[in-house]
Amino acid sequence: MLRRGLPKAVFWLVLALPGGLMLADFAGGGVLAMDLLHPSGEMAVRLMLLALLVGPLIDIFGPGRFLRAWLAARRNLGVAAFCYSALHLLFYAFDMRMLSAMLDEMVLPPIWTGWLSFLALLAAASISNDRAMRRLGRRWKQLQRLVYPAFLLGIVHWLLLGWFWGPALVHLLPLILVWTARFLALRKRRARHEGLPT
Amino acid sequence: MKTAFHHLRYAVIGAGLLAAQPALADGDVKCGAGPQSGWKELGQVQKKAWQQGWEVLKVQVEGDCYEVYARTQQGQAIEAFFHPETLEKLVVFRRGREIFRKDGFKG
Repeated sequence: MLRRGLPKAVFWLVLALPGGLMLADFAGGGVLAMDLLHPSGEMAVRLMLLALLVGPLIDIFGPGRFLRAWLAARRNLGVAAFCYSALHLLFYAFDMRMLSAMLDEMVLPPIWTGWLSFLALLAAASISNDRAMRRLGRRWKQLQRLVYPAFLLGIVHWLLLGWFWGPALVHLLPLILVWTARFLALRKRRARHEGLPT
Repeated sequence: MKTAFHHLRYAVIGAGLLAAQPALADGDVKCGAGPQSGWKELGQVQKKAWQQGWEVLKVQVEGDCYEVYARTQQGQAIEAFFHPETLEKLVVFRRGREIFRKDGFKG
């Protein structure tokens, strides 16, 4: 976990900056809410990806100084991802204006995947504190894995809205790569441990 | 807890299957228009969309088409592609799914 104090404050300032700019643009009337859907959603996906990458990387390379610092910031990255998905939802509400219109399209796959992704992330973010960690014990880690479906649903949501495969794959690929690399590394380690040929 | 994860897994797989349905990327629409010098003005396509009863949010050039982001009278979010020379409505998408296509239009 990041220590309280200046480094954490600076880190949060950096994380909040793009969101602050989006809100300022929107409040100034320079952009439409619909134009901010893409950047806010993309930020949420990228932050989730950053939070999900560090665990497998440590399993592969061991905890170096860089990866340890990254791991310390993981919770902050996850909570920031949630903040951006909430911002995304806010812009969506401004864009749709009518609750009836939002409910009406909730049954469409490109939309319910987005809602479900948000709910999974909300659940994970709501227990991203020390008290919940102590209280939930082993189940805490299981619940934090909700970020995986949140991430995948977010990608599917993105894909279904515009059928652009590029961005979806670009964000999925790093995760597939580290998962494959971790699988191979662990297998090699286990084989060596058991004295089997690799 | 395990069942909750299973449900979510099914949701993800289900969504993946839905993604497999054939659809056209709305960024790929080809209207088959000539050079921009022969195009009607942007304001005219806006008027055309307005005549449909839509509330227009944005009109832009997308490839060789005019693309209109709008809301229907029921509040549905739609994207419509118009031919920039004839101002004909060629294809309309709602949240990535095609909901209208002009007879015979293949672009």
